[in-house]
Amino acid sequence: MTVLRALGARFARDGRELVAPFTLTLAAGETFSLAQPDAAGAAIAARMCAAIVKPTEGTIYVGEYETRLQPPQCKRLVGFVDAAGFEGDEYAFKCEVAFRADVWGLDARAAHARGRAVLEALGDGPYARGVALALVPDVALVVLDRPASRVVSRVRALAPAAGILRTR
Amino acid sequence: MSRLRATLAIVRRHIDRRYAIDWAMQFLLIGAISFVFGRLFADSLEIFGIVGFVAAASVVDRQHRRLLRRLTFFAAPLFGRQLARAHVIAPACAALSIPFAYLSGAALAGRALPANVSLGLTAAALVAATISLSSAFREGYRAALYVGLAGAAALTLGLPFELRSPHPLALCAALAALEGFFALRAFGETLARYDPLPDLEPEARAPSTPVAKPPRRASPASRG
Repeated sequence: MTVLRALGARFARDGRELVAPFTLTLAAGETFSLAQPDAAGAAIAARMCAAIVKPTEGTIYVGEYETRLQPPQCKRLVGFVDAAGFEGDEYAFKCEVAFRADVWGLDARAAHARGRAVLEALGDGPYARGVALALVPDVALVVLDRPASRVVSRVRALAPAAGILRTR
Repeated sequence: MSRLRATLAIVRRHIDRRYAIDWAMQFLLIGAISFVFGRLFADSLEIFGIVGFVAAASVVDRQHRRLLRRLTFFAAPLFGRQLARAHVIAPACAALSIPFAYLSGAALAGRALPANVSLGLTAAALVAATISLSSAFREGYRAALYVGLAGAAALTLGLPFELRSPHPLALCAALAALEGFFALRAFGETLARYDPLPDLEPEARAPSTPVAKPPRRASPASRG
């Protein structure tokens, strides 16, 4: 099953091309590495694939939904981890887990347990917390913005059925 | 997921210990100013202007802009209008501290305002805060324009009292409802159009974790 499909997706701002057109198809259980020339390009490409930023040209589908037309449906399927991870303290992390449980319609206790389990597997740290938050809901696609290689393999172990897109 | 659950989730994410402290500090500061200097502002239009501009300015401080622009809200499966409605609640509650503080300070100084003016002032603060929210997602003069617009909208709510119209509170409430409706719609559209981009300076945003290999080419790379 295809979880992510990008067709000539490109991003430009003020006449400046920040993400060159890219085309990719990612199936469930696969990992795709998307290279960009700079950090801003990688961050924007990751956000485009997570339906957070709309492509200037081209189309991106998450599952069967188009990111520009149906962003909430797309976001429901995506766990996004920013390059900075989650920089809040433990209290903020718990608030964030509760927020995700509410927004994704999950059982709060199960969401906290899932968050803790992911943190135990990855070890604590901003990026690990970001991954833990992304994996609180059961997602079909995990988008990792500039992760370390070891993080990708651990996320794969934690979410074997999900497609993983990493930028670098 | 119910609309109410999503709204409450966002409101809870906004309201924390810091929010409560800010609310109390704002209340004490405006209350003290009103107590000491309130006698200088006898005109309703002046009072509406002050409360409106302070409410508008309170929404757009840097910390609050950062909170509103948090990526977590944009990564969540929510529509722009859902986000807009929920985002308005916490700043509106925060802005309420301004008219409440002004009225309390004035009452303590023995210059209590009539009940209908007090209600109008509360509506003005809510409207100003709602309009001003759109400036949190804009930069430079566009952001400043929204703050100015918010203050001007608050001033218009003071006009029925200043002009001694027959039913000033009803007129003020009707104006507030109209301005609030359009402000909320505009804010929803602002959120729907907003692209949360990273810092676009090439080296300004370094990754927090080491990247496995340096980028080799600009276009999509290998399957790994």
